[in-house]
Amino acid sequence: MLRQQRHSLALASRDYFHEWRISICFVLALAAVLGPMLVLFGLKFGIVGAMVEELVEDPLKREVRPVGSGRYDRAWIDRLRKREDVDFIVPRIRSIASTLSVSSEQAGRILQFEVIPSAPGDPLLDPQRPAPSGLDKVVLSASAAKKLQVAAGDRVEGSLLRQYNGRRERVSLPLQVAAIAPATAFSRDGLFASVALVEALEDFRDGHAVPALDWEGVTVVRDRHYTGFRLYARSIYDVAALQDSFERSGIDVRTRAADIESVRRMDRTLSAIYWAIALIGLGGFSLSLGASLWANVDRKRRELSVLRLVGFHTGEIILFPVVQGLYTAFFGWALACGIYGAAAWSINFMLAPQLESTQKICRLLPEHYAAALAITAGASMLAAILAGIRAARVEPSEGLREI
Amino acid sequence: MPASTPETIYQLKDVAKTRSSNGYTFGLRVPSLRICRGEKIALIGESGCGKSTLLDLLAFILQPSDAGDFSFCAGAAGTVDIGAAWRRQKRNRLAALRKAHMGYVMQTGGLLPYLNIYDNINLSRRMLGMPADDTVENLARELGLVRHLHKLPDALSTGERQRVAIGRALAHRPAIIIADEPTASVDPFAAEKIMSLFIGMVEERNITVIVASHAWRHIKQLGLRRLAHHTRRSADGRMIETVVSG
Ligand SMILES: Nc1ncnc2c1ncn2[C@@H]1O[C@H](COP(=O)(O)OP(=O)(O)OP(=O)(O)O)[C@@H](O)[C@H]1O
Ligand SMILES: [Mg+2]
Repeated sequence: MLRQQRHSLALASRDYFHEWRISICFVLALAAVLGPMLVLFGLKFGIVGAMVEELVEDPLKREVRPVGSGRYDRAWIDRLRKREDVDFIVPRIRSIASTLSVSSEQAGRILQFEVIPSAPGDPLLDPQRPAPSGLDKVVLSASAAKKLQVAAGDRVEGSLLRQYNGRRERVSLPLQVAAIAPATAFSRDGLFASVALVEALEDFRDGHAVPALDWEGVTVVRDRHYTGFRLYARSIYDVAALQDSFERSGIDVRTRAADIESVRRMDRTLSAIYWAIALIGLGGFSLSLGASLWANVDRKRRELSVLRLVGFHTGEIILFPVVQGLYTAFFGWALACGIYGAAAWSINFMLAPQLESTQKICRLLPEHYAAALAITAGASMLAAILAGIRAARVEPSEGLREI
Repeated sequence: MPASTPETIYQLKDVAKTRSSNGYTFGLRVPSLRICRGEKIALIGESGCGKSTLLDLLAFILQPSDAGDFSFCAGAAGTVDIGAAWRRQKRNRLAALRKAHMGYVMQTGGLLPYLNIYDNINLSRRMLGMPADDTVENLARELGLVRHLHKLPDALSTGERQRVAIGRALAHRPAIIIADEPTASVDPFAAEKIMSLFIGMVEERNITVIVASHAWRHIKQLGLRRLAHHTRRSADGRMIETVVSG
């Protein structure tokens, strides 16, 4: 039985390549419809993809920032941290207290850095590199590290000053640079420190004692309050809901929700336009493919009748146009991918100056190519099977006597 | 086998085919026909009298409008009720019978344009999974086609193509060969030569043959049995009926 199918397959292939001129026409007709569709999809996917990627990749777009200062306790912060839609949250202290003078042996001058409370999982920091921890390991922003001329692993010296008991008091704080933050994450001079260290700095300035660092002062702080927080939503799609929830509880926050919404609206608009074109294109594509395969089977009725005459079964007759349809589908698809490749390359090349190096305006993923092949092969097979059944139904005597 | 002796290949009783178009009706009626193994049958008649219609019925490629009794017996398979197979639309069953037991030579064409002469002659053999021996070469030698074996059909003359078709019909050693005016498209001189060659090869292999032709004189010399038939026209000329028996 299998021998018969193999034979049928071999004959169908022979016929297809024997009639290479007509086969090329079918392949061209298919590629002429499929190629532009791929370009269209590549553009839609590339443009929207680049915008969404920019939004998703950039943690600043996920930030939810309280406006002004409030009064939040640790329990409230911890409750927020447990929320599904919150990726990261650390408390902030008063901004006056959150600066630190830092010097290094290499630079030989003292610089004022903004101190940013941080913790493992901080979206602004590289997850591959160590996070700030303890009271001595800090992460410097790229510009701060450059000014201090230090690299990860180097030591720097922090120093802070307070007015205590009517006199100026200065303490020094030996620090180690655990890592340097990516330049894109934070553009100013900053020092990412653990929450514990930030609290210690605030306590010292307020004249409290910090036993862990042997800093003297009045009582140790127990009931601590924060004036703000650094919060990042799990994804850009959670930002709007988070903003709503804060505003309902009376906390005024600032987010990029408007930006995000405009990109999403654009995505929806582009998608709608694309699908409208794609549906029309797919309709035309199926019709053209179906019609050409159908016409081809009709043209071959006599030859198929000869096969019927010498004893081919219905299934083997149907296999004939199916095999040829699959050849057309495959070659047409390959050519369409070629057309797409050339078009995409030139579009990306022309628009390269306007784009960041890695961005591509016209782009497809391997699964898109696979889907295109599957749809094409499926449509060809369907058309070929229908045409093949019709051919097999024709009485061989009719087919043979065709003029 | 009750009704037919073992030598009977075709047994037809009250088989009919009616075809009509544009108000004109053609009817072929076979009250009784029996064809035995090894017989050489000629079907001679004017154009349009229904020769092709009868041959197509006998080749199971045309469905009879009416089949009282239509049985086919070839070798080990036993007797097959063709009328019933048609009624139940068992086209694959009929195709399998053709494949195993039948060779068919058309008036023209019928070769696959994408296969070379060797593969065209070998088509049925390959379908039946027969071993690739020297059968095709031997046939080609007898038919004078050796130098064409690796050409495609479109590089051959009409007469050469007809000889290829004969080769293909013979190659798988069928029990029966049906030939519908196999020499109609070549000149009379070549036609006689090809027909003699064909009948000679069939005889040598003891194959039953049914051939339609209009050249009775020549056919008679080759010793074929002529099927009796007569054609009647209705008064207004709208109906033609051919009755065949033998
Ligand atoms: N498909 C068809 N539909 C209707 N009538 C048909 C059809 N095919 C043939 N006929 C009619 O059937 C009759 C017999 O046709 P057939 O082909 O059997 O003739 P024939 O004896 O083989 O003729 P020729 O010697 O010219 O080949 C003709 O009168 C023809 O008009
Ligand atoms: Mg005829």
